[in-house]
Amino acid sequence: MPSQPLRVAVVCSSNQNRSMEAHNILSKRGFDVRSFGTGSHVKLPGPAPDKPNVYDFKTTYVQMYNDLVRKDKELYTQNGILHMLDRNKRIKSKPERFQSCKDKFDLVITCEERVYDQVVEDLNSREQETLQPVHVINVDIQDNHEEATLGAFLICELCQCIQGTDDMENEIDELLQEFEDKSNRPFLHTVCFY
Amino acid sequence: MEVSAEEGDSEAPHAIDMTTSEKVVDLLNQAALISTDEKLTVLKQVQELIINKDPSLLDNFLDEMIAFQTDKSIEVRKFVIGFIEEACKRDSELLLRLIANLNMLLKDDSVNVVKKAILTLTQLYKVTLQWLVRSKAVSERQEACWDLVTQMKGDVLALLDSENDGVRTHAIKFTESLIITLSPRTSDSDVPKRQEGDISLDKVPKDHSYIRYDVLCEEGKTALERLLKFMVHPAITSINLTTTLGSLATIARQRPMFMSEVVQAYEMLHANLPPTLAKSQVSSVRKNLKLHLVAVLKHPCSLEFQGQISTLLLDLGMPQSEITRSTPAPREQRKRPRHDQYKEGKKVKMEPALIEDDEDKEEPAPLSAPKPAAVPVAQSAIDLTAEFLHPLLNPENVANLVLISMVYLPDVMPASFQATYTPVESAGTDAQIKHLARLMATQMTAAGIGPGLEQCKARDDEVGKEGGEDDSASKDLLIKRKNPAVMVGQAISVVGGYQEKTSTQETPASVKRLPEPILPTTQTKLTGSSGRKKVFRLSDVVQPLSDTQIEKLTSRAVKRILHSEKAIAQSGMSHVRVKLLSRLVTQFEGMMKEDVLAFILDDIRTRSDLAFSLLYQEYNTYLSQLPNGLLDSYDHCLFTLLSGLQEKPEQRDGLFTKLVLEAPIITESALEVIRRYCEDESRVYLGMTTLKELIVKRPSRQFQYLHVLLDLSSHEKEKVRTTALAFLKRMYEKDQLRDYIEKFALNYMQLLVHPNPPSLLFGADKDTEVAAPWTEETVRQCLFLYLSLLPLNHRMVHELASVYTEAIADIKRSVLRAIEQPIRGMGMNSPELLLLVENCPKGAETLVTRCLHILTDKVPPSPELVERVRDLYHKRVPDVRFLIPVINGLEKNEVIQALPKLIKLNPIVVKEVFNRLLGTQHSEGSSSVSPLTPGDLLIALHNIDSTKCDMKSIIKATNLCFGEKNVYTSEVLAVVMQQLMEQSPLPMLLMRTVIQSLTMYPRLGGFVMNILSRLIVKQVWKYPKVWEGFVKCCQRTKPQSFSVLLQLPPTQLTSVFERCPEMREPLLQHVHSFTPHQQTHIPASIMSVLEANKKPEPKPVEPVIEKEIEPAPETVEEEAPVAALKGPDTPEQQEHAHVTEEEEEEEPMEQQESDPATQDEAADTVSEEEPSRAEKTPSPQPEPTEEPMETSQPEPSDLQEPERDAEAETTGPEAESGSEDAE
Repeated sequence: MPSQPLRVAVVCSSNQNRSMEAHNILSKRGFDVRSFGTGSHVKLPGPAPDKPNVYDFKTTYVQMYNDLVRKDKELYTQNGILHMLDRNKRIKSKPERFQSCKDKFDLVITCEERVYDQVVEDLNSREQETLQPVHVINVDIQDNHEEATLGAFLICELCQCIQGTDDMENEIDELLQEFEDKSNRPFLHTVCFY
Repeated sequence: MEVSAEEGDSEAPHAIDMTTSEKVVDLLNQAALISTDEKLTVLKQVQELIINKDPSLLDNFLDEMIAFQTDKSIEVRKFVIGFIEEACKRDSELLLRLIANLNMLLKDDSVNVVKKAILTLTQLYKVTLQWLVRSKAVSERQEACWDLVTQMKGDVLALLDSENDGVRTHAIKFTESLIITLSPRTSDSDVPKRQEGDISLDKVPKDHSYIRYDVLCEEGKTALERLLKFMVHPAITSINLTTTLGSLATIARQRPMFMSEVVQAYEMLHANLPPTLAKSQVSSVRKNLKLHLVAVLKHPCSLEFQGQISTLLLDLGMPQSEITRSTPAPREQRKRPRHDQYKEGKKVKMEPALIEDDEDKEEPAPLSAPKPAAVPVAQSAIDLTAEFLHPLLNPENVANLVLISMVYLPDVMPASFQATYTPVESAGTDAQIKHLARLMATQMTAAGIGPGLEQCKARDDEVGKEGGEDDSASKDLLIKRKNPAVMVGQAISVVGGYQEKTSTQETPASVKRLPEPILPTTQTKLTGSSGRKKVFRLSDVVQPLSDTQIEKLTSRAVKRILHSEKAIAQSGMSHVRVKLLSRLVTQFEGMMKEDVLAFILDDIRTRSDLAFSLLYQEYNTYLSQLPNGLLDSYDHCLFTLLSGLQEKPEQRDGLFTKLVLEAPIITESALEVIRRYCEDESRVYLGMTTLKELIVKRPSRQFQYLHVLLDLSSHEKEKVRTTALAFLKRMYEKDQLRDYIEKFALNYMQLLVHPNPPSLLFGADKDTEVAAPWTEETVRQCLFLYLSLLPLNHRMVHELASVYTEAIADIKRSVLRAIEQPIRGMGMNSPELLLLVENCPKGAETLVTRCLHILTDKVPPSPELVERVRDLYHKRVPDVRFLIPVINGLEKNEVIQALPKLIKLNPIVVKEVFNRLLGTQHSEGSSSVSPLTPGDLLIALHNIDSTKCDMKSIIKATNLCFGEKNVYTSEVLAVVMQQLMEQSPLPMLLMRTVIQSLTMYPRLGGFVMNILSRLIVKQVWKYPKVWEGFVKCCQRTKPQSFSVLLQLPPTQLTSVFERCPEMREPLLQHVHSFTPHQQTHIPASIMSVLEANKKPEPKPVEPVIEKEIEPAPETVEEEAPVAALKGPDTPEQQEHAHVTEEEEEEEPMEQQESDPATQDEAADTVSEEEPSRAEKTPSPQPEPTEEPMETSQPEPSDLQEPERDAEAETTGPEAESGSEDAE
């Protein structure tokens, strides 16, 4: 695959923090990248843990931004949500749901095990057609700003290494093992087919 | 498409009216010349034009397009493959022309092209089949085409053994599709919408002219067998495994007739996960397995496998509730006519009837010509064996099995087990026992034992004999008849019997198929039998290898063993590997050793067993060659391991210690590493504990180890040093080590007698010039150990004294600074210390003094100590400074006797003496009662014989007293004045003290008047000095003093007025203010003196007075300066005269003696001196008023000179000490 850029998807649950952070970094590094969420809704932290702000996937980042500014500008400035939305709206207009996307990728990176399960299940439930393989790798990232940034760099490094291989499919196994040792965290990895 | 629009624009002028054909020509011409990216764009346009827009052109341009299949670019070649696919899908006839090209591309050098070709073949296989099935008459070309496709199919299946992971993945997917195509779709098949039109076996007519239904059917089954076999390969990669799991799920859902095989394969896999998988891969695979099991479970046909599937899911950690949710509701059974026909017996419920069932399953196997056998045999064999085992699994047998197998459990839990272990939920239930029986059967079959296997084998043989030409129906019957007999006849036979039979059968198989290249097989069944019939001659096959080759091969072999760590660990054979490695490596020299050591150090924690094994092996080698053997390689091994550990940043598990303590011999270089370890501040404690253990546990060389520790006791890093000292102190308590330590400490201290520090103090590497001077640092280095031992063994103190006397001044100074802690630790009751004081070797006086100071610094001196010091002072060394520390232990008269000598010392020392005497010492603990009260002291000062001490020193001393305002209160001073005044003769400094008291406490005025009056009674004028002070005092206290003045006899009054004429007038006026009656009390002679100014009447008197008085003041005046001048010289010279005759060189040293004191009390003296100076400055304030009167001489010499002198004296020593420090 060296001649063609990898088509990468980064997936988290709400397509806000972790996937967007990685999207941001990966696109800056020149990757053909998209980002997605797998949740049924887009959820953002609210004034209390049991009162999240819930949006559907049609709501744009700008709308969310304005909504939160209206609700409690100080709170959402302070916890970095507005900043995040501001970043997101510069990248794309609204969150996307992985399950609704029919585009094909070479590599899907998920940010937590639950998301990985959902992605793999979704991919397996689709009808196979071309049998093009897609590798799904899970990199566990906690859902906060700092971890998202660290995770994004890890993902980016991973993608760069994979992009750099002569024969991705033949080397990815070993590469991941090395990465596991290096970053000291386990990666779930599987392959699905379109 | 966007790009094509652009292209269109640029080509607009001609493109518009061009025909499609012309456009294609144009584009193709362009494509030949441009870069890859653009070429792809252009070619895509062409494809669009000739396939979708105008398919009639397809045929025309086919060759031109296909020509690009030799393009350099991988992407272009891949495009061509895509084009072939599209073209063939559009027009199947093109297969005739294109399939050969695809075949070429299938053998392309680039794996990416091959993968793409496989994907395309997956599609085109179906297209071809469909095309052939539809055509009524099959042409020869079509036949050839099909043959080629069939051959390509075989090639791709063979790619399951490719070396490339990705290629294998694609081959698996191809196999999956092939199996589905080559099996009939049934009513209960899941059919994806997109594939509804796809061909499958059921659409192939059984009477086709060329394509044979039964052959295809067999091919499909063979493919499935291959896939199943592929999956159980122990070295399968996780991605291949994942892919296969998914494929099997797809197969099971689309072709439920295979569900049984699939479920069994899952079961088998679950029980035997490949050992090569990493931990995270294991979890990925288990997740996949779960997912696919659920997918299969959801299929309505899973009914009969629900038991197995749910057991598996439970094992994989899925809650029962979720399993139930995924289980379809039971449906009416046996509504599968076609299925039944295809494979009868399949639907028979579960285990109970399995035997029969399985035979049916097995039966088609022999048909598929040379069968690689393992899997299908295994399937039925598992069932049979499980059936056989089930009744045997009673509690007693199981308990025995567990007990026996305990022995074989590995020491460490393998990662795969840990990852996959789930608690047994339903232990003891029938279902669980069944499950267990199956698990065991799986293992037994894999190992090639068990009754099931025997039976299947026998059956296969028979079937083989009876010939495979019968059609399947009749064979079914045959086998059904035969089997019971087989079962009865062959119960359980030996393992060997089975193997013999297989070998004969499998030989042809392995001859036809190449051995698997990627997967060095572990299946003994296959390899073991393959070479059996050949006559084997080693020389035929073997060529001598070159040395480098041999070396390369050996080192590679070792590396492989080295890096197969995980795999071997999972199989529980780690100890064998470790042994093997250590044996191998010790036998060969060279790089291998380095590699192994580096490998160990990579992760020493888990590889420590290898490390130890290697080490012992090296040692064994050494022992076996003993008389001449060299320790070199053992040493190297140990050294490398230890240094590796030492250099690792963190190591908390004590591996270093363990290695050191368990190493059979500690070599020199190893000891060096231990030393370095100890020098590391963060690990010093661990390091020294290790060293200590060595010393204790290896007595034969304990002194060698002890020496290292001793060396460290003077280490430059403080932490290292203190730890070493702490350890040594503990070891010092051990008798067998005590002497050595002591000797070392003393030897080290002995170094101090050298004029320059010996080079051994600087460590081996720093080869300093010989002439380096001693520094505080180096001196301390020699003393650390000694001083820390001193409190444990007081006897050693004498050695210090003898070294001290021989050492040079710089060293002495450092020694004095260093000994405080240990001496204090010894305490003043130490008999050895008392002995030292008693003996006080010549030259060690300052040392002894220092000791005394240290001892009495916080605590009052004990009577024994005082006694010793007194003895020393009186009998041997009459240096008054000895007395200072114990001064509060002396008798009053002793103190008074010593006082003249004491106050002549350095002012700082004097200050200290006074502090001790007055109890104003800083330490709170000095509750010792001074032999002198403050009053006594002041009086004693006044009474010092001026021949023994110069006035200046006395004045300074009294000033010190006055400095202590807290002690010398007005009451104390009043008592002092009172007592002094009563003395006879009057002390010379009396009036000075009176004036000073008055300045300090003006309210003493009345009392002073009283004194003055009484002095008149005592005819004060007879003491010129005192008289002078008297007058000055009166002058100061006027008008209060007028009444005193009036009490003077006329002559003295005249003398007063001569000294201060300005007094006369006020006094006269004072008298005039009297009432006449009062005035009458004033004698006329006085009045005449008062009024004398008017008439120079008393002139004759003057000479008299002058005669009387002048000589006196003159002598005093002269004496005082003389005394002042002599002061510094004579008394001290005298002193020295009787301190020692030859002590000229001691001089500097003696002054040093004050040095430590300065150091100790520096803070205090400075802070105390400043207030006292500050007090002095206020006190001079009244002095300006004094000064005009003092125009008459002597006082200034008293008051000013001392100041100057004090300064001179203080600057003296300070400058000296400063220069000393600079040295």
